[in-house]
Amino acid sequence: MSGHETALRELPLIGRGHARYDGRAKVTGRAQFAADVVVADPIHAFLLLSTIPRGRIDRIKTDRALVLPGVIDILTHENAPALAAPVSQAAGSATNHQPLIDPDIVFDGQVIGVVLAENFETAREAAALVDIHYVKQPAAVTLDSPGAVTERWSEINQNFEDLEVGDAEKALAEAPVTIDATYHMQSQVHNAMEPFPTTVLWDGDDLIVHEPSQYVVGLQRGVARQLGIDPSRVRIISPYIGGGFGSKLSLTPRTAILAALARKHRRPVKLVATRSQGFTLSTYRGESRHRIRLGATPDGKLTAFAHEAWEMCSRFGAYASASTDLTADMYAAPSILTRVNIVRTDRTTPGFMRGPGEMPYMFALETAMDELAYRLEMDPVELRRLNEPARSPIDGSRFTSRSLVKCFDEAAERFGWRNRNPVPGANRDGDWLVGYGCAAATFPCFNYGGSATVTLLRSGRARVETAASEIGTGAYTALGQVAAELLDLPIENVEVLLGDSLLPPTAPAGGSMQTASTVPAIRLACERIVSRLGNRMPALADLGAAFDRLGTLSIQETAQYAAFDGKNANGGRAVLSTPDGDEPIAIASYGAQFVEVRINARTKELRVPRLVGAFAAGRILNERMALAQYRGGMVWGLSSALFEGLAIDPIQSRVTNTNFEEYAIPVNADVQMVEAILVPEEDHEVNPLGVKGIGEIGIVGVAAAVSNAIFHATGKRLRDLPITLDKLF
Amino acid sequence: MPGDPNLPNPHRRNFLRGSAGVAIAPFAVRAARAEIPALDASEDARALTAVGMTVNGQRRRLSVDARTSLLDALRDQAGLTGAKKGCDQGQCGACTVHVDRRRILSCLMFAVASDGADITTIEGLAGEDGALHPMQASFIDQDAFQCGFCTPGQILSAVACVKEGHAETEADIREYMSGNLCRCAAYPNIVAAIRQAKPLMEG
Ligand code: FES
Ligand code: FES
Repeated sequence: MSGHETALRELPLIGRGHARYDGRAKVTGRAQFAADVVVADPIHAFLLLSTIPRGRIDRIKTDRALVLPGVIDILTHENAPALAAPVSQAAGSATNHQPLIDPDIVFDGQVIGVVLAENFETAREAAALVDIHYVKQPAAVTLDSPGAVTERWSEINQNFEDLEVGDAEKALAEAPVTIDATYHMQSQVHNAMEPFPTTVLWDGDDLIVHEPSQYVVGLQRGVARQLGIDPSRVRIISPYIGGGFGSKLSLTPRTAILAALARKHRRPVKLVATRSQGFTLSTYRGESRHRIRLGATPDGKLTAFAHEAWEMCSRFGAYASASTDLTADMYAAPSILTRVNIVRTDRTTPGFMRGPGEMPYMFALETAMDELAYRLEMDPVELRRLNEPARSPIDGSRFTSRSLVKCFDEAAERFGWRNRNPVPGANRDGDWLVGYGCAAATFPCFNYGGSATVTLLRSGRARVETAASEIGTGAYTALGQVAAELLDLPIENVEVLLGDSLLPPTAPAGGSMQTASTVPAIRLACERIVSRLGNRMPALADLGAAFDRLGTLSIQETAQYAAFDGKNANGGRAVLSTPDGDEPIAIASYGAQFVEVRINARTKELRVPRLVGAFAAGRILNERMALAQYRGGMVWGLSSALFEGLAIDPIQSRVTNTNFEEYAIPVNADVQMVEAILVPEEDHEVNPLGVKGIGEIGIVGVAAAVSNAIFHATGKRLRDLPITLDKLF
Repeated sequence: MPGDPNLPNPHRRNFLRGSAGVAIAPFAVRAARAEIPALDASEDARALTAVGMTVNGQRRRLSVDARTSLLDALRDQAGLTGAKKGCDQGQCGACTVHVDRRRILSCLMFAVASDGADITTIEGLAGEDGALHPMQASFIDQDAFQCGFCTPGQILSAVACVKEGHAETEADIREYMSGNLCRCAAYPNIVAAIRQAKPLMEG
C-alpha cells in the first residue's frame, strides 16, 4: 500500500482530547438540526397512526377534518400516491413496512394517514377529527403470546449459520458442574432526544430532504428508489443529528410519502413527528430470551457452551441481531452449540439499536458466567482469566488484538474488587445492602470502507469532506483532528464538512464503524497531498513557498478506502491476504465492567453509586470523545438494566408507555460516578490506523454487572430486564 | 429550597406535576390580570391574538393562535430555534427557556400567556460581543454534551439552577437538573460544567 512510501507521522495511541469542533455551535443554539431549518411557506404535516395492533380499517372518514379552515389535504390508503416498495438499505434493516397501500393493520402505531394543513395546530386538530373504524383481530405482541410463530433464523437468512463445534450435548451431560439458565429482556426503543423530523422541498426535479440521518447516502438511495427518480436528484442534508443510536440508520416510510406530497402540492412539507409516534416510526430492540448452558470442570475450565436465543420479529420483516458468534468467541469452550430463532409477532420490525445483539446476548452470557463462578466458589474475574482463549473457539481464527484480561485487571484494580467479601448478602452499610458485580464487554469490528476529500490551501488551511454523520460521537472533531495531525496543522486550521449526500460517500454512523472506515480514506488523501509536496509535509511557514514551486494555490485529493480489499463487511471476522494465502482473523474490541449497587434492606430502593469500565479498542483518535462515548454507553447499560422496557397491555395488545414519563430513562439524579479507563492497544491489521469502534461497547456487559452486583448484595439472582423495584422483593 | 412551591421542582418523580404547575401558574396569573381577553365559548380559539414580549432584550410582537405553545411561537415565528422540541409534553426539558427570569418548559406554556413577559432563550445568553456566558463556556470545557440537542435546555436550566441556589452540592445539582433529560447521558459532565460555572457566575 502506498502508505509505506510516504512519511506520514504516526498518530499517538491515545489522541489528544481536543474540545468539540461543533461545541460553540451547540452551546449557542446555532447548530441547525433538521427541524430548525426554515423554508418558505411550508405545509405542516401530522401523522395518523393506527390504534389497534392487527386488523383492518373498515371506514376512514375525513369530512369533519377536511372542512376545518387551513386543512389542505388528508392522505389515507384510499388516495395515497403510488410509491415503490422500500428496500433494505445497504446498512441492513429498514423499517420495511410500506403503509398506505391497503387498509390492513399489521402493528400498533402503523402510519395510516397524513394530514396537511397551513399550521401545526390545525394539522394536529384535524388529525384528531379523522374518524376511523377498525375491524380488530387478535394479535400476538410478545414472545409468549398465542399466535406468535417461532422460526429458525438460519432458515431465513442464508448467510447465517448456527454453530456446532464438538459434541456440546454430550459434554454438558458429562460435565461435573453445569449451569442451565434462561434470561429475558423486554423491548426497548432508542428515544434519541430529537424525535423524527423531516422537511422536504422540490427545486424543479430535484428533491432536498432535511432529515437527521446516520447514513445520508443510504437515505438518498432509498428515497430515490421509492420515488422512482435517480439518486442524483435527491440531496439529503443532515449536518447535526440530535442522537441516533440506530433509530436514524433506516429508511422510514415517512420520507418518500412527504416528498410525494410536496410534489403534489408544489410546496415544502414539514413534519415533526411526536415523541409518542417516534416509538413506532423507526425500529427498536425487540424483546428477547436466551437459554445459556455451561459445562465446566470443578476447577473452572469450560467444557461446553450452548446458547439458544429467541428474538422478536414482525410478521413481514426479517431482522435478527443473532449475536451467538460473539458469545461463542468469548471463552475457550471446546464444544459449542448455538441456535438463533426469530419469533414472528404483530409488531413492527426491530432493528439496530446501540449494541443491538451485543447488549442482550452478553447480558445472558455474562450473568451465566457469574452464576458459574458462584457455583464453583471462584472469583468471577479468575473464571474469565482461566477461560481466556488463545484463538477463536469457533474456528481457530487469530485475534488481531484482544485485551480482555488486561481490561479486567485495570478495571478491577481501580474499582477495588480484590478487597470485597464475596459472600452474597454479607455486605451491609447501615440499612443498605452493598453488592459488587462485574462482566465482560465486547463489540465486533465492522469494516465498510469509505471515501473522503481533503483540500490543503496555500495559506495552511485545510478542509475535510465526507458524507459521515455527527450523531454526538464527535465525528467533526475526530475526523478533523486526524487531518490536522497528519498534515501537521493546528486543529483550528481544519474545516470539516459532514452530513450531506453531495459529499464523498462513506460508511454509516452505525455498527461503530464510521470512524474506522473513514479515517483510512482521510489518511490516504493526506498521504497523496504530502507526496505531491515532495513526500514531506513542509512546516507551516514554508507551505507558501512549496505551493509556489508547484504553481498552485490548493491541493485537493479524494481517496477511497476499501477494507480488506472489499472482501469483508461483516462483524468480527475478516480475511487477510498474506503471501501464504488467505488468513481468517477475528477482530473485536473488549472491555470489562464493574458496578457497585446499594439496595435499601427495607424499601429495596436501588442506587448505583459507581460504574467503572475499562475498554481497549485500538487507537483512540480523541481521548475526550472516546470517554464520552464509553461513559454514555455505560449509562445506556445502566438504563437497560434498571429502567427501559416497553410495557404491553395484554388485553389491548398495545404498548402503553410511549412517552418519557412512563418509558423511563436515567435522569441526572440516577447517575453518579461513571468512570471509563482507556486501555492502550495497538493493532496493525484491523485497518491502516488500527482504529476499532467505540460507540457501542460501553453499553455491553453493564446489565450483567448490575444483576451480578444485585446477587452479591442480596443473594437474589435476577434474569429478567429491566430489574424494576418489584423484582427485588 | 426543595419544596418551595414557587420554584420549579424538576425532580423527575414529581416532575410532571411540578412543571405543569409552573407553566400553568403564570397563565392563570396573567389571565387574571386581564391583559388578554379571556376566551369564552363563543370565541374562536383559532383566531389570532397579538402578544407582545421582550425576547433576548428585544421587543417582539407576535400574532398567535390560542393553541400555539410558547415553544412553537419562538421557533416558528420569532425564528429562535435554539429551544428544542423533544416531547412537546413537559417530560424532557429540551424546550427550557427563561420567562421573567425563571426556567420554564416552553412547550407547556401557551404563547398567549407570555404577553408582557421577559424571555431569554439560548440565543440571548452570550454577550453582545459574542462572549460566551460562563455556563456555555463550561459546557464546552467539560464536554457536557454529545449530540447537543438537549444542550440549550440544559444550559438555561443550569443557569437557573445556580441562581436558585440549587447548585451548592453535586447531589443538589443532580436533583435540580433532573428535569432535563440527556439521552446521550452527558450527566456527570453537566454536573462538572455547573460546578465550574457557578463561581464564575457569582464572581
Ligand atoms: S419539549 Fe418541552 S419538556 Fe419536552
Ligand atoms: S447531548 Fe444528546 S441528548 Fe444531551
